[in-house]
Order: sequence, then structure tokens, then C-alpha cells
Amino acid sequence: MLLHILNRSPATSEVYRQALAAMGPDDRLLLIEDGVQGALGALVDRFAALEGRLYAQEEDLVARGLEPLCDPSVALIDVEGFLTLTEEAQKTVSWF
Amino acid sequence: MASTEIYRYLSLPKLRVALDPEGYLVDMNDWSPDVAKTIASEEGIALTDEHWEVIDVLRDFYHRFEQAPAMRPLVKAVGKALGEEKGRSIHLMRLFPGSPAKLAARIAGLPKPTHCL
Amino acid sequence: MANDKALGVDGDLLVILRHGPHGTSWLREGLDAALVAAAFGRRVTLLFMGEGVTALVPGQKSGPLGQKGTSPTLEMLEMYDIDTLLVETEALALFGLRADGLMLSAREVEAAELDELASTHSLVLTF
Repeated sequence: MLLHILNRSPATSEVYRQALAAMGPDDRLLLIEDGVQGALGALVDRFAALEGRLYAQEEDLVARGLEPLCDPSVALIDVEGFLTLTEEAQKTVSWF
Repeated sequence: MASTEIYRYLSLPKLRVALDPEGYLVDMNDWSPDVAKTIASEEGIALTDEHWEVIDVLRDFYHRFEQAPAMRPLVKAVGKALGEEKGRSIHLMRLFPGSPAKLAARIAGLPKPTHCL
Repeated sequence: MANDKALGVDGDLLVILRHGPHGTSWLREGLDAALVAAAFGRRVTLLFMGEGVTALVPGQKSGPLGQKGTSPTLEMLEMYDIDTLLVETEALALFGLRADGLMLSAREVEAAELDELASTHSLVLTF
């Protein structure tokens, strides 16, 4: 299992498509920084194929006041959760 | 990478050739066979035909690729140009002892090789 | 398990180049990372993805202010024994390019094959 990390918003950048294209069937995607916009109910359909493998950095959502708009299908993780995800992955791949 | 900082000058008759702190030419256009001989002699090397053919390979490499090669590609380039017998690191170590890619690039008037640390 | 798959490309390092020449320094930085790894004997695969495929367009020149381009560096890859060049089929189509019209010969891979590449290399770096 690889952990892919995306820090660009799907509203302004097509980079999320590259991340999705490179992801294997067990890989996980973590949204950080502006990437957390992808966790919003209005945008999360871009990641529909991931079903339960989509994570978002909670601190980044909170800082942007976006936590209330976050879709329930997205797993929110704190810094410790980030470490756990990283440890569980064979390697990480960054998309920016 | 070539530095623009002048650290010292090479002493040649009627010429002042600026070197950077690592001994590479500040201005590549200053290079001449006499400059090469002077840099080499500072390192205790008297240039022979075997040195010159490697210097030619290096200058061709730079002309084509705009960078000085690290050791592995230098060995490969020398092998392609001068034959397998010479395309060996031991041959280059003998001609340019220590750090052949760096020393040979300095003598050939090229910038520091980019991809060897 | 990954070795049973169709593509059969593996290595120590996969460098994914997603930016074209001249606009930013990402392409150059990605190539530098690949060259350093190759200089130390690592087996490197380059994947040109998205906008990165424009790095392989023939006939590139230096920039308007004389900035060095990246095409001489691409020509140099074979001297560093970097000979596994892959190009994303979808990206070629996006830019109206053809694999047989590129400055270097590169093998096409489809987006669906990319996850295999990520899993068959020990390290993946995106640029």
C-alpha cells in the first residue's frame, strides 16, 4: 500500500487526476494544505473511486474553517494519524 | 557549477587567468592548452598524449551536453571515443589521480561536474 | 507479485516529470535528481507525465534571455545509462504529440499502468 499525498485543490488544479491515475487499488490518498478542499461535500465526487481510502488533514481543514463542510465519507486525521498512515505505507508519493 | 568568485590567478607569462575557490576557470573562454598545462603542473601532472585525448573527449562532451560529466559517464564517453581499453576508471585514475572527473574537468577548462558530490 | 504484471519495468528510482521546460525549474530539478542517482549506479526510470511530455518535443532552443534549455541534458541521459524512458499515452494525446515524433525514443504507458510503476520502484519522486 502506497500513501499518496496531494496538496493542491481539485478546484484549481488538475494534479489530483495525476494522483488518481498513479494510485493502485489499495493505495490511500491524503489531502493536505489546499488539497483539503477536495474533502468538501461539493468537490469530493472527484475522489468517488477511492471509497474509504480518502483522508484529509484535520488541522488544515480547521485552519480554513472548512471542517463543517467536509463530507462524512472522508476520514479526518491529525498529525499523529498522519504518522500512522506513513508508517503503514510502503512508501509515500507526493503530488503538488 | 562555475563560480564567478575570483579566488586567485594562475600565473602564466603575460596572462592572468582567474580561478574560483575550487580551482576551476572563472571564465571558460580563458582556456588554452597552456592554461591546461599550467593547471596540470600545479597538480604535479605533465600532460601526455593520453591526457590530451581525454581532455578532448571532455571538451566534446561539454560542447554536446553543456555539462561536465560525473565519473561514470566520463568513463563511458572515453570508452566510446577512445576504445574499451581506455574506457576504464583505472586508466583515468592513473592519468588524473584522486578525483578524475573533477581534476580532468579543471584541466580541460570546464565547470565543476554537476552530478558528482 | 508486481513482477508478474505486464509492463515489467522496475528499478531503484522512478522520477515522474510533470512540468515542461523553461516555465519553472521543476523539470531541471527532476533531471538532476535522476542524474545524481544514476551517477551513483542506481537504476533510474523516467516517466514523462502530463505537461512533462513537452520536455520531449524536438527542436527546443535556449530561452529568450539565453537561459539554458533542458534538451542537452535529455540527450545526455544515455551517457548516465538512463535508458528507460516512459511517456504517458493520454498526455501525448492531450498535447497532440506522437511517441515516434519525440526527440528521444520513449515507451508509451497508459495511465492505468502507472500504479504498477509506482509499486515496482523502491523510491518514487515527483517533480
